[in-house]
Amino acid sequence: MEGQIIANAFHHAYWGFPIATYFWLVGASAGSFVISTLGWVFGIKKYKSTAFFASNMAIALLLIVPIILIIDLGKPYRFFHLLMLPSFSHWSAPMMWGSMFILSYPISMMFYSYFVYKKNEKWARILGILAVVLALCTHWYTGVVIQLNPSRIPNHASVAPILFLTGAYVSGIGLLNICLWIRNHFVGPDNRVSAGLIADMARLMLYGVVFDLFLLWNEFLHMTYGFGEEYTMLYDVLLGVFRWPYFYLEIIWGLLFPLIILMIPKINRQLPWVLLASFMCATGVYGMRIWWVMANFYYQGHF
Amino acid sequence: MGERMYGFNGVSPSAGKPGRKRYAMVIDLRRCTGCNACTASCKTAYDVPLGASRIWLMEAETGEFPNTKRNVLPRLCNQCDHPTCVRNCPTKATFKHPDGYVLQRYNRCIGCRTCMVACPYNARHFLPEYRRDPRNPRNVADKCDFCIVRVTRGLAPICVNSCTGGAIIFGDMNDPESEVSRVFHANKTFTLRPEMGNAPQVFYIGLNEKIADPEFAFHHRSKQLHRRYNTFKRNSEVGGEMAGNIIDTDMGFIGLIRQGLNNFRTFFRDAPHKIFRGLF
Repeated sequence: MEGQIIANAFHHAYWGFPIATYFWLVGASAGSFVISTLGWVFGIKKYKSTAFFASNMAIALLLIVPIILIIDLGKPYRFFHLLMLPSFSHWSAPMMWGSMFILSYPISMMFYSYFVYKKNEKWARILGILAVVLALCTHWYTGVVIQLNPSRIPNHASVAPILFLTGAYVSGIGLLNICLWIRNHFVGPDNRVSAGLIADMARLMLYGVVFDLFLLWNEFLHMTYGFGEEYTMLYDVLLGVFRWPYFYLEIIWGLLFPLIILMIPKINRQLPWVLLASFMCATGVYGMRIWWVMANFYYQGHF
Repeated sequence: MGERMYGFNGVSPSAGKPGRKRYAMVIDLRRCTGCNACTASCKTAYDVPLGASRIWLMEAETGEFPNTKRNVLPRLCNQCDHPTCVRNCPTKATFKHPDGYVLQRYNRCIGCRTCMVACPYNARHFLPEYRRDPRNPRNVADKCDFCIVRVTRGLAPICVNSCTGGAIIFGDMNDPESEVSRVFHANKTFTLRPEMGNAPQVFYIGLNEKIADPEFAFHHRSKQLHRRYNTFKRNSEVGGEMAGNIIDTDMGFIGLIRQGLNNFRTFFRDAPHKIFRGLF
């Protein structure tokens, strides 16, 4: 049987590329902050030298976030409805939790940075624990915001927030590696971060890449055992227009190439290759953010 | 299991509770001629902007000659008993009224569009910056409200009044003598996307499974319509990217890139306007 739908209302695309960028920024911030706390909170001494820079980078990335979010609102001046009016707060909405996280996360990071700067072990540790939990929560909620909508096919799965967090971890380390390498050109020899340490961080990134691929495989399986709508979605992300951000940018460029580079023993500690893999990971995760935001609206909007 | 409570003052659905109203709608598709009188009257009454509708008609031609059929499906907000939009609204701008309406409070809405993401029926739209009457709300989400301003004054919703075939029946489902209640109990009714768990309160009689299937709706829509729509959106001052234009991606990779660039372009173009417009 053939058919043609000839009229419909087009209530379309609600969140566009700016929101995808916001997801990427929050993720990179959370990822680099996790590295920042490795030395001062989790006691891995060799990462202590990166802590201050990584934390400040996380703060800088997060300062862009409210600008994007607030300007993207239809009524930018009403953003305080989310923050200061208890009667307006609807606690079943993930976005409400998120606005609390976005408010408290940079503040705790700033205190953490201050104590790291002062080399106050005790308070840096306490604030670091608080801030790393908030970092994970801040990015976790972005996954939950889309996950809790049953009609958004690829995101309505419990693997969604973990995928978001893994992407954050990978992109955060990737971006941090590149920024540390750039920073090395502007600081004295004593403050430089060694190529070995950057390679060690790339090794941490490798674990994230493997876990990310594992989660993506699970999501793929989830879609292949779904209903007709999941199949349509699968077609779109593998063969349709979203193969560009999903398949080429995220999987091939952002995960498989870095995986190969970091798995080859001869090159996985050479700085140029490590930096290339870091760049690929950081940009590849942006592809993931694009298709997660856009593909959902693309499909649903046609009903 | 306790009742699920939503939104304003912890209202729970009033289905089956004696002494309380529970407004619902039954649309008899056997009687619908597809004349679009409901769409036109609603758009006129509420100044619904171009490119958006509170009620609209989805039409599908199915079958092969000579066994063809034209199916018509009026679509509107389903006024769900378990509305995802209400659950997801961070500022309680949208809420479930005790009498069954799902309503929108424009003065609370921040325009984050989470409700539009949440709605499985695609029933919400965004009011653009430029309205015909500037006193009307702008840059906030909007939806069908079962014409609460008319119903509370004893009138039927305007789509019901204007329906030429008498296909739309509206009333209090808790009243066993009401027409909607009688029609509902005398016929086999269907709802759209029941698997979403929203408990929609708009019921259809004689629903064609093809047109109610989102997958079918996705595949069987003319490309020409998409292009026209994209052209309209790009050239239009109302709506633009804020009101949404995603089907540009039909045009493949170039469309996706253009979509991204357009998103950013309108984002930066609208930013100062939105901010300073709010000041003066």
